Amino acid sequence: MAGKSGRAISAAPKDGLRSRILSWEGALVLIFLAVQIFGVSISPNYNFTNVLREMPKYLAEIFMLFGMACILILGDIDISVGSIVCLSATMACFAGNAGAPFPVVVLVCLGIGLLCGMVNGFLAIKLQELPTMIITLGTQIIFRGIAEVTLKSGGSVSMEDVAGLMQMGKKLGPFPLSLFFVVLTAVIFSVLLNRTVFGRELYAVGANKTAAYYAGIEVQKDRFICYSLLGGLAGVCGIFLLASLYGANTTTGSGFEMEVIAMCVFGGIATTGGKGNLTGAFIAAFVIVCIRIALGQRNINTQLILVIIGAMLIISVLLPTISNGLRAKKQKR
Amino acid sequence: MNKKSFWKKITDSRDASLVLVLIVLLAVIEILSPSFLSFNNVRQIFLNNALTLLMALGMLCVMLTGGIDISITSILAFAGMTVGLLQKYDVLHNTLLLFVIGAAIGLCCGMLNGIVIAKGKVAPIICTMGFMYIWRGMAYVISNNAWASGKDVSGFSDFGKDGAAGPYLILLAAYILFFIVMRWTRFGRRFYAVGSNKEAARISGINVARTIAAAYAVMGLLAGISGALSVSIYASAQPNMQYGKEMDVIAACVIGGISMNGGRGSVAGTFLGAMIIAIIAKALPLVGIDAITQNLVKGIIILAVVSLNVFTQRAINRQNLGRREI
Repeated sequence: MAGKSGRAISAAPKDGLRSRILSWEGALVLIFLAVQIFGVSISPNYNFTNVLREMPKYLAEIFMLFGMACILILGDIDISVGSIVCLSATMACFAGNAGAPFPVVVLVCLGIGLLCGMVNGFLAIKLQELPTMIITLGTQIIFRGIAEVTLKSGGSVSMEDVAGLMQMGKKLGPFPLSLFFVVLTAVIFSVLLNRTVFGRELYAVGANKTAAYYAGIEVQKDRFICYSLLGGLAGVCGIFLLASLYGANTTTGSGFEMEVIAMCVFGGIATTGGKGNLTGAFIAAFVIVCIRIALGQRNINTQLILVIIGAMLIISVLLPTISNGLRAKKQKR
Repeated sequence: MNKKSFWKKITDSRDASLVLVLIVLLAVIEILSPSFLSFNNVRQIFLNNALTLLMALGMLCVMLTGGIDISITSILAFAGMTVGLLQKYDVLHNTLLLFVIGAAIGLCCGMLNGIVIAKGKVAPIICTMGFMYIWRGMAYVISNNAWASGKDVSGFSDFGKDGAAGPYLILLAAYILFFIVMRWTRFGRRFYAVGSNKEAARISGINVARTIAAAYAVMGLLAGISGALSVSIYASAQPNMQYGKEMDVIAACVIGGISMNGGRGSVAGTFLGAMIIAIIAKALPLVGIDAITQNLVKGIIILAVVSLNVFTQRAINRQNLGRREI
């Protein structure tokens, strides 16, 4: 059966307080608290208001986390999302500058994202033999290529009428508007994954594709839906990115795909499929965001964050192997 | 041998069909732009793609074992940045020694990849993604917002500057060495064995974990050498060098017919795959297509090649099935 918790760090039985704390999600909460202490100790400006104020520029890519989680649970991968963000943001800018009203601009952004996702999904189900890594490698280059051709030699475009985007960057009390949307998306996807037939089908497909097929699950339909969802969410990311950047260029969103996958994996979702849940990925995303904000405030060489994220990622994926090894040694004795 | 079997030989061998594609491509370009195959132009193509060509060999080893390595350009940046800084602060100016240092750094990084993947049983893409961040970050940290300019590496860049023989010699030596190793030595054949069937390889006495680790070590070694070479060719070292170019290397391998599931691929195919991308990129402006469409065309070619592969494989399977029924 598909495990509830993505990464087991203890052999304790699956219920009870002890296992809840020792589950990976419990560990992530502790890591999150540790990061807060770390933040407060290195920077005098690290407090609730400031963190919330600086959050919006890191929030946009978290939208894609939920779609990527679905894709990874299926056992697939999508490395084209960064390019989809670039393409949809670019097209939205052009639509806005051509005089389209703001709701249309938003629709263009989401529509382009959805369309790109559907292209990925279509290719993934028509070329089933291929690893999805190769397919999305191709579309990654193509989507960014289209954006490059549209942007012409200048390589960048900025939004002329930013009134609508300003509205999106607004705050409700101390909270940025985008945070509400992130939480809303998280709730929707959490219900989708845990409480609907579709969500449980994803776990079944990820655990064993052939068995799922023989159990009557429309594997290819589910894959297509997941790719389309992720594409749509990349569009959402695009519009929220515009709300803090007011423009797009040829490198917009480059590297986002790996950051999103890293957040998922750090949150306990296995790339082999069928394992992990959204809670872990969600906490992991905010752990990374808070580390970024803390280091950014102290003006510490911001690239040091890369080393920290990389090290956390590798240690977290090595944990199960290490704990298994220790347990085996104990049993031998 | 009659003509039909010769034709079958060509269509059966992927490398031969790639040669065919390359010849047709060159013929078309040569007709549209007669000066394309001049010595100078060909030399430029090799020089501009030396790093991809070199790293593709390592990626061949990694992909043969069924893995993937996306940390290569970060290793390249870390090794290259070290080599650049050693010269900037006047520690060392010996070309050979600098290359050895670059290679050694790459080898260590690659071995770390290999150990985590083979011993820690971590998915290759996740492990190398982690190290991708770490080495790129380390390149930034050691550079401390400085970068080595052409003046700093003036002696070193004589080795790889336009017109010098250095890069070509390295490429030639690497390709000849790999051609022999992958074809006729135990070390090379083990990659194929492990990639085709891990269990069978284990039972026949191959140390699977060590073979997988070796593949990543070789990849790291080549990435390290590429780091030094990159500093030499472009006469500068920045922490963000070759950012995102790992996908170009993977694309070259995929076009060259290396299977991502492991066990299938050749040195000749790797070379041809890298050359097809390189030639198209160079030829686009010459035949009147805006250079800005380069990436678009590249992506379409990748998808076209891999889907063509799938369709021919399906046709072959169907044919075999038909034969069996008789």
